[in-house]
Amino acid sequence: MNRNFLIGLLCILLGGNAVFAAAFDDANQQFKSGDFAGAATAYEKILAADGPRAAVYYNLGNSYQSLKQYGPAILAYERARLLTPRDPDLLANLALARKAATAFEESGLNPRLEAALNYLSRHEWSWLVVSGALLVGILAVVAGAVELPQRLRTAALIPSAVAGFFIVAGAAALYLRRDEAGRGIVLTENATVRLSPFEKAESLGTPGAGRLAHLGVETGGFRYIEIAGTNLKGWLASNDVAAISGK
Amino acid sequence: MVNHLHHLAKAFACFILAFVSITAAASAAEVEALLDRDSVPAGNGAIFTLKISGSSAAQPAIPAIADFIFQPRGTSNQMQVVNSLTSVSVIHTYVVGSNTPGDYEIPAIEIIVDGAKLSTKPLKLKVLDSAAAQPPAGIAPTPPGQPAAGEGEAETGEQRFGFLTVELADSKRSHAYVGEIAPVRIRAWLPNDARTQLRSGIQPEGKAFTLHNVSGQPQQTQEIKDGKRYTVVTWFGGISATKAGKYPASLSLDATVAVRDTSAPKPQRRRMGGPFDDPFFDNVFEDMNAPMIQKDVTLKSDDQEIEVRPLPEEGRPSGFTGAVGEFKFEGVQIPNDWKTGEPQQIAAKLGGSGNFALMKAPVITPADAWKTYPGKDEFTAGDEASFSGSKSFQFSAVPRKGDAQDVALDFSYFDPAAESYKTITSPPQKIQVSGQDLVDIEPAATPAAKEPEKKVVGIVAQHLALSPPASLVPLVSRPAFIPLLAVAAVLCVLGKILGWLRVRRDDPRRRALAAMELATREALAAAGECAAARDVSGWFAAARLAIQQRLGAAWNQPAQAITLAEVSARIPEDSPVTRFFLEADRQEYSRQATGEILPQWRSLLDDAMSSLTPSAR
Repeated sequence: MNRNFLIGLLCILLGGNAVFAAAFDDANQQFKSGDFAGAATAYEKILAADGPRAAVYYNLGNSYQSLKQYGPAILAYERARLLTPRDPDLLANLALARKAATAFEESGLNPRLEAALNYLSRHEWSWLVVSGALLVGILAVVAGAVELPQRLRTAALIPSAVAGFFIVAGAAALYLRRDEAGRGIVLTENATVRLSPFEKAESLGTPGAGRLAHLGVETGGFRYIEIAGTNLKGWLASNDVAAISGK
Repeated sequence: MVNHLHHLAKAFACFILAFVSITAAASAAEVEALLDRDSVPAGNGAIFTLKISGSSAAQPAIPAIADFIFQPRGTSNQMQVVNSLTSVSVIHTYVVGSNTPGDYEIPAIEIIVDGAKLSTKPLKLKVLDSAAAQPPAGIAPTPPGQPAAGEGEAETGEQRFGFLTVELADSKRSHAYVGEIAPVRIRAWLPNDARTQLRSGIQPEGKAFTLHNVSGQPQQTQEIKDGKRYTVVTWFGGISATKAGKYPASLSLDATVAVRDTSAPKPQRRRMGGPFDDPFFDNVFEDMNAPMIQKDVTLKSDDQEIEVRPLPEEGRPSGFTGAVGEFKFEGVQIPNDWKTGEPQQIAAKLGGSGNFALMKAPVITPADAWKTYPGKDEFTAGDEASFSGSKSFQFSAVPRKGDAQDVALDFSYFDPAAESYKTITSPPQKIQVSGQDLVDIEPAATPAAKEPEKKVVGIVAQHLALSPPASLVPLVSRPAFIPLLAVAAVLCVLGKILGWLRVRRDDPRRRALAAMELATREALAAAGECAAARDVSGWFAAARLAIQQRLGAAWNQPAQAITLAEVSARIPEDSPVTRFFLEADRQEYSRQATGEILPQWRSLLDDAMSSLTPSAR
């Protein structure tokens, strides 16, 4: 009974994956033939049905960038970067999109520190902290349960130091990147930041597509945002901005 | 109740004082003296303002000047918040003037602010002969307290709430070039006595220019324009145009400005006597008591035209790709060893100021010996407005020709200051290229080589393999993160408990005690068996061994080595232990091998064992 259930589940999973792989290939063909809008729609459908996949987001970003829709392109690249932060193709295309949209990311950090922080995604930094903590726990259990000889106790200092480094470095990276959870991308070129969350409220400025925004509360179809690196803050129509984390 | 209110009032006053002190401490100590005009008719007054910025300042000592009158008008505290910058100052106002025409100088006034001695600049006031000061026919006289003729041009209409000016940051230049991001200085002129809250960033009004990289934190200064004092908020940014011509550089800024309403009905001033109790001074005092009016305004720059010139065709280098500004090589990395047909990475860094967005990678020379492929670049801003900085390029190059070569990188740009094209060359580097000369070569593997289906220039190709599904939410934001850390913490606690248990288990004293207890139980069991077998001597021997085990653990010596003599020496004779040893000794020599174990013997053994249990000891 259980065996049959597992085999059935495996078949469903593999079958589903094959369906998405076929849809992905079709979307790639559309892109190759120059139907960027069709490819973008197909990639969006795959993401809606199958959940986030780095390659789909990357290709979706390429499709939007080919359509010169830099806001959605940068959003797709940023989402792909959450999953594959070291993909050189992704970083190159993201830089191109930012350059085209004149939406450069400025963190204000030292470039080397920034490169080190961004080498891993927040997800990977989180796992580094957890694995470091678990390693410390396992070492504590072993050291508690067995009286290790002096040689092994000395050798155990190395994994202890590694675990400590994982915890400290990971925690520091997560702290320095703590604001990223609330980041969003302005999607449309003419999106207008308003003084109040009303359609006819006074305009404070148009940040431009692709600009990085720190997201605040959402009310009545408007979301409070602060455009990174500027003093521009106010209310933007919710449809004009999307959270990178998807929430 | 009254005391309570009194304490509350004191606490509130302390809070206000502390707040003012803190905010005042945040701004630099400064004193400044101002006259609202340079000349005044005899018998009339000018407003002399002494502004002291700082947390604590002494009362200013006004110097005595012959035939010159200082009439204190009052003191006010001013707190201005513009773009979150808070400044606190105390303003002493005087009406000054003289009835005798002449040139007067108000000398520097020394004031101690925050422990530092500061002084104002000397000011001059020309007191005119009243007859000479009469305006020509047809021109209305200027009442005291109002701007003099010619000073009020900026006061018309909405401009009394402030205005914007835009000018090229390089004062020597009157034009920009196509493609150039020309640095501009944008200044918001806000009336000094106004309270202003900016409600937007700088916005371009027209389509001719694009506004770039406006600095986030503006500078704030005090300036005088047309005889009127303004708080000037200055931003730096860049404007660029894609077409040549003359275009208005109109910008706007939304602000809420509160100014004194000089048109409000003026109350009648009470006549108190004194040198300035004259109707001429009424306007001075009325202006200072005028109510504030607040208005949401859009400050605009005049349609100031900026000429945009096309880049000259003459002298344009073949390698010019649109960079406008002033640049230099800050670093070049070219590998020393190459092989024809095999790509390697070349890195270059160009620094300077200009339109980095249009800047493309430098060209390797000799050009016919190389084939290059697009790479990546990264801009690092050198200032807040991103006018200066550096751009790093990394691209692949494939040598076509073998043998030793001198290679360098060339970069061409248009220098708007010199109004000419310039080509800079990196220091030549000698490299060695092995292999045969190639005619048509393609790189073995470069980023460009794997993008045959690329439709848009510069975009790296699609990914063809479907990656596994994942979540955009990082582990740190998921509910599982805390439990995982809790598991690690539990493991740490578990390890500590296990360690404590292990140490406890391996404690030699505990182990000795356990062995003693075991031997004692075995001896008592043997005694029980002897009692059942009516073996009196055996019972005494086993019982004595049980007592010896306890004594041995207590005295830290072998149980069998403890004798009656030692027990008698260390334990009182009436103790059950000594008595049992004596009885056992007696029974041993009485040769009574069998018989009943008497109740008093059992009782004596129980007492002896009780007195030797670990808790009893």
